[in-house]
Amino acid sequence: MADNEQKYIRVRLKFSRKGPVKYLGHLDMLRYFQKVMLRANIDIRYSEGFNPHQIMSFAYPLGVSMETTGDYLDIDLVSYDGLEDLVTRLNKVMNEGIAIESAKLLDEKALNAMAAVYAAGYKITVSSNEMDQAELEKDKLELMCQELVAKPEIIISKKKCGKKKKEEVVEKDIKEGIFELKADSDGILYMLLKSGSALNIKPVSVIEALSENIGKNLKVEAILRTDIYGQAEDGSIVSLSQ
Amino acid sequence: MIERKLALSNDILMSVEKPARYIGGELNSVMKAKSDIRLRFVMCFPDIYEIGMSHLGISILYNLFNSYDDVWCERVFSPWTDLDKVMRENKIPLFALESQDKVKEFDFLGFTLQYEMCYTNVLQVLDLAGIAYKSTDREEDDPIVIGGGPCVYNPEPIADFFDIFYIGEGETKYRELFDLYEDCKEKKLSRHEFLRLASHIGGLYVPSLYNISYNEDGTIKAMEPIYDDVPKVVKKEVVKDLDDVSYPLKPIVPFIRAIQDRMVLEVQRGCIRGCRFCQAGQIYKPIRERSVEKLLEYADTLIENTGYEELSLSSLSTSDYTRLGPLLENLIDKCNKKKINISLPSLRIDAFSLDVMNKIQDVRKSSLTFAPEAGSQRMRNVINKGLTVDNILEGAKMAFLGGWNKVKLYFMLGLPFEEEEDIKSIAELCNEVALAYYDVLPKEKRNGRISITASTSFFIPKPFTAFQWAKMNDMQQFIDKAELTKKSISSVLNQRSISYHWHEAGTSIVEGIFARGDRKVADAIIYAYEHGCIFDAWTDNYNHDMWMESFDKTDVDYKNYIFRERGEDEIFPWDFIDIGVTKNYLLKEWNNAKEGIVTKNCRDKCSGCGAFTYKCGICPGVHNG
Repeated sequence: MADNEQKYIRVRLKFSRKGPVKYLGHLDMLRYFQKVMLRANIDIRYSEGFNPHQIMSFAYPLGVSMETTGDYLDIDLVSYDGLEDLVTRLNKVMNEGIAIESAKLLDEKALNAMAAVYAAGYKITVSSNEMDQAELEKDKLELMCQELVAKPEIIISKKKCGKKKKEEVVEKDIKEGIFELKADSDGILYMLLKSGSALNIKPVSVIEALSENIGKNLKVEAILRTDIYGQAEDGSIVSLSQ
Repeated sequence: MIERKLALSNDILMSVEKPARYIGGELNSVMKAKSDIRLRFVMCFPDIYEIGMSHLGISILYNLFNSYDDVWCERVFSPWTDLDKVMRENKIPLFALESQDKVKEFDFLGFTLQYEMCYTNVLQVLDLAGIAYKSTDREEDDPIVIGGGPCVYNPEPIADFFDIFYIGEGETKYRELFDLYEDCKEKKLSRHEFLRLASHIGGLYVPSLYNISYNEDGTIKAMEPIYDDVPKVVKKEVVKDLDDVSYPLKPIVPFIRAIQDRMVLEVQRGCIRGCRFCQAGQIYKPIRERSVEKLLEYADTLIENTGYEELSLSSLSTSDYTRLGPLLENLIDKCNKKKINISLPSLRIDAFSLDVMNKIQDVRKSSLTFAPEAGSQRMRNVINKGLTVDNILEGAKMAFLGGWNKVKLYFMLGLPFEEEEDIKSIAELCNEVALAYYDVLPKEKRNGRISITASTSFFIPKPFTAFQWAKMNDMQQFIDKAELTKKSISSVLNQRSISYHWHEAGTSIVEGIFARGDRKVADAIIYAYEHGCIFDAWTDNYNHDMWMESFDKTDVDYKNYIFRERGEDEIFPWDFIDIGVTKNYLLKEWNNAKEGIVTKNCRDKCSGCGAFTYKCGICPGVHNG
């Protein structure tokens, strides 16, 4: 088995998505990249069986309307002419708004992109119809953030579809999942949140908690994922591109 | 790169289903600088994005128009009901996908009319764009509204809504029309003067330049041009040699999954088989083939330019393409190397096609399709469908031996001269196919139970067919016939292997009215639209009661269009169109149908239909004068 696996070249691609293409869903992105591989003539590995498909996996599905400067997908290649050539060829056939930012080789023991996800960074623009925009933009937002993270627990309630289609409300403490939460004087929020299969905090959950804490409604205008991170052996948080 | 700003806000886009329908920017969509162009065209398929983007015709014209340096062609589709509501509430004007500019600012708004049930959506697009419904109510600066596609072979029910109809294949005359438009603009001629000059171009029909008079019984007395220089007859446009026209080798690749999510190779136009119910078979005559060399060259380029994982061959009857063997041999070779699937719709089931299918697709998933259209041989002779029970059973047996065990069978109910026995034969034919399965395969070789799906649609007489004189069944007859089919199927031996589906009867009635109606129908369409009818081709949206109310309130005697057999010398609303095939020939075919006399296909023997006048395709070789 090991011999067999070594025949493939594992590559992690970092990509960005900006502008109108942010309205694509995750499956559309998957289909998009499948076509990109064919157009760029990439010698990608296919699965075996009756319906061969490209071996491709994303770190973290992008939500509709989310932009990114650092998302990732892993692909297996049968052959290639170096990472630089790979990135050049891919970017040549890319659409307006989507670009490959970098590529790195993975060794055979490396976790796949999805399993490697530990945290994700976000940059979020908010507004409120109950507050003056100027108020938000001064230091108010930063104070709200400080107040929130100072609390002993941060409870959000989530509607869940339980058995027999009954809606249940589940409460959850998300405090341990907020690694970082701050705002700048332009009214932009920055977050570093726990992601991955063990605990996954969505940025909108944090906005909800903020809204609840101040008793005023905050609305998300734009979300940008700045980067996705894994955890190094020493416990530190490192970008998946490292 | 030109920065694209979207017409819809983030809030709106996030509130509707599939926002990617409205953002443009797909691979191979064309952006141009406004300063470089003289004419802006926006092409509309009046249904949702996923359906419109699956249509080859739009792709052909988009590619052709954008190949002209002075023209920029963009696209627009019907906003789905969710966005439709938001746009009305917020008074947001309809916009084109590429530039996101208002449709009203364009020089031309083109509609492709592929099925009659899209007519309220034409009004929706005009309404949301802020353009008057009727040609005569439009302002000087409004776009010229032009329509094309199969529905324009009887454009009369929607004639009031269009400034121009293009009758025939779009490749031939648009350049001439654009030159005329630019010239008129320069000379500051009026809209009316431009339209009058446009009527001189072959294939172009300007409905506002004709007067229609009616007989007391509601039929047409005469159709007269209002000026001497406007032609009385409009002749269909035809591409003589398909290898000479441009083909869309850089088709737009949608981000979201379109209904047809694949590359398309159009192998031929037209059909040699004169099925008497089929309009496409007549209006696209004569049959013209593309060369294998061109098609293979196109396939290479398409693969490179799109990245699609599937390639489909398109035509009315792909089995009739004379060089299908060499074409497929080369395509299979090419596509296997690139792991691209080939799909072959409209292929007759025989040894050859089964062999091909074995080579190209996953046997276990696919089902086989037969379209006998009628259950009895007598009825198949009436409709001139040259398919016998033996053909079907032979094909099915070969398929069963090859491992298939799913069969789909398509039929029509309400065909002219149909009797109860013919309907019962549908069940018998399904049963025979099931028996053939158990007959040809011993128990141990069977791959589960045979699964047969029988579907029936209701027959709608269409213009330019042998059945254009025929009386259509009414709602109750349709429902009774579907019930009889169901009952017959449930009484045959293998009924448990047969599942039966039938098409909605109400839409068939309205489609029949649009198909053979005249200009009086237009007001009913406006009434229905203004009372909420839209996306009528979508069963969930179709409101039959409102349509009946619309005909009633606008005094449209709809029964007169569908529920009577028409006289041999009656003037039809579409008689001013010349498709090559003559009314005399169709009448002869109507009489042959009554007698159950079969007419040979174009390749076996020319029957002198009249398409020879185009002197292209199959005609020069086989024509017998």
